[in-house]
Amino acid sequence: MNRVAVKVKELNKTFGGITAVNGLGFEISNGECLGLLGPNGAGKSTAMSVISGKAEADDWGKTEIRVFGYDPHKEALQIKALSGIVSQQDNLDTELSVKDNLAVYAKFYGIPSKIALLRIKELLSFMELQDKAKARINELSGGMQRRLTIARALLNKPRLLILDEPTTGLDPQVRHMIWNKIRELQANGVTLLISTHYMEEAFQICNRIIIMDKGRKVIEGKPQELLKRHIEKYVVEIRRSETLALVCPIELKNKGMRTEVFQGITYIYSNDNRMLSELTQDLLASEECMIRPCNLEDLFLKITGRVLNEQQ
Amino acid sequence: MSSNEFSAVPNLPKRIYSVWYRHIRVYSANFFSNIFPPFLEPLIMLMALGVGLGTYLNGFEGVSYIAFLASALPVTTAMYSASYECTFGTFIRLEFDRVYDGMLGAPISTTDLMLGEIIFAGTKGLFFSGAVLLVSWITGIITYPLSILTLFVGFLCGIMFGCFSIYITSFVHNINHFNFYFTGFLSPMFFFSGVVFPLDRMPAAIGILAELLPLTHAARLSRAFCLPGIINGEIVKDLLYIIIFIVIFGTVAIRRIRKRLIL
Repeated sequence: MNRVAVKVKELNKTFGGITAVNGLGFEISNGECLGLLGPNGAGKSTAMSVISGKAEADDWGKTEIRVFGYDPHKEALQIKALSGIVSQQDNLDTELSVKDNLAVYAKFYGIPSKIALLRIKELLSFMELQDKAKARINELSGGMQRRLTIARALLNKPRLLILDEPTTGLDPQVRHMIWNKIRELQANGVTLLISTHYMEEAFQICNRIIIMDKGRKVIEGKPQELLKRHIEKYVVEIRRSETLALVCPIELKNKGMRTEVFQGITYIYSNDNRMLSELTQDLLASEECMIRPCNLEDLFLKITGRVLNEQQ
Repeated sequence: MSSNEFSAVPNLPKRIYSVWYRHIRVYSANFFSNIFPPFLEPLIMLMALGVGLGTYLNGFEGVSYIAFLASALPVTTAMYSASYECTFGTFIRLEFDRVYDGMLGAPISTTDLMLGEIIFAGTKGLFFSGAVLLVSWITGIITYPLSILTLFVGFLCGIMFGCFSIYITSFVHNINHFNFYFTGFLSPMFFFSGVVFPLDRMPAAIGILAELLPLTHAARLSRAFCLPGIINGEIVKDLLYIIIFIVIFGTVAIRRIRKRLIL
């Protein structure tokens, strides 16, 4: 089997003059979980749509996409037969029961009814929905609907699972449950492409991430490595504006610290935890000051900026 | 969980069937509210117009008014049911519930989706015209054996209005705009297609206009099968009109809906 599951080269997509995706390129190896990160409007969903044949690239002469060797422009059906797609918006059949939603969908894959019944049972228990088999969709919570949408995408035992913001709007319990299931799928050899704007999600489940902004790839790498390479180890957040006076950015810069002020909060970044503690000794007693390790969110904000764009 | 026993793309008939099957499942999920009215509606029409109005009329192309009316009612109900399905129904699946988006995640193309939709509209046409026929048979209004073929006309009529309604839907971005289609097009057509009164005594211009309307041809076919002694070679023309109409509007409708589904 080819090592590369998904190959994307020079993907461009414009909507009515607005560039949604701009020269995006990446590869996903078999069994890998790749995360697309970026603020709303960064082009994550659009990129996923083109890959799964739900949208057309601007110029297929330039753009080259292969999913298990198939071209979404001409062979979208083959790609969809091998993949499971969970879109951002739940699009279950609200007029059918949980079980019927899956039974109807199994027909789309040409799964014989008897086998489908077994598969449905298996998937309902996998997503912990076995008690809800007969429920109507509007009786389900948002978390259950999302789990059912994921179950539906697994009916055909996909080799690639595409998840567009799988846990947006869900509570922490459901989120962790979904992460566990995603890890389980990956352990079973499923290749994953996930978009998210939750840094923790990316950190928890992705082997590799791409941070996108304004349709472009900004950086790419393993989460830990990106942290090491692109951002300091620690940050101190100072919430009181009076404290601003206590710090002199230039002096800090000479000591290898980076300062950022945004909406009344001062952020001081450094690789040296001790230096930060010393700096904030007087302040640390206060609840308005906190030293913590830098996380992907800090990296994300450093790269994509703190100011909202027009699509957020 | 990563074996590939289901990774083959089902063939075209299977794909279209699976879309049709989805619609049937949803339709029968609300069995009572969906199955009962089709029988009630023709009863009301036949009572109100056929018996009520018909009492004052006699000798309609050699038959009673109620029989005249009942012989074309199968296609008007087919028209309305297919049109509701492929305007409001299609629009809701397209824009509100996003059912199509969900279905397109499976190995289903937009063409499969629309063909399944159109054939379902035909099925509804068949079912609704069957309901009218059944009522007409039971009440003894229609007795001609060939009238069984009207089921097929109902099916074609459903497909024809399914195609045309999807074509209309492809332009609509606000669900309320369907009112124009129903009041501005379907309702006048109901009256000026020779269903409730014959067209031959109307001004020539209306006669010509009526020939352009799809319902006129479906009604003429329906009547040819329901009433004895009027069938002749002319029905080939009506059949031809319907088939050409289906091919043209079906093709354009599928193309236009695709543009709304595939970005």
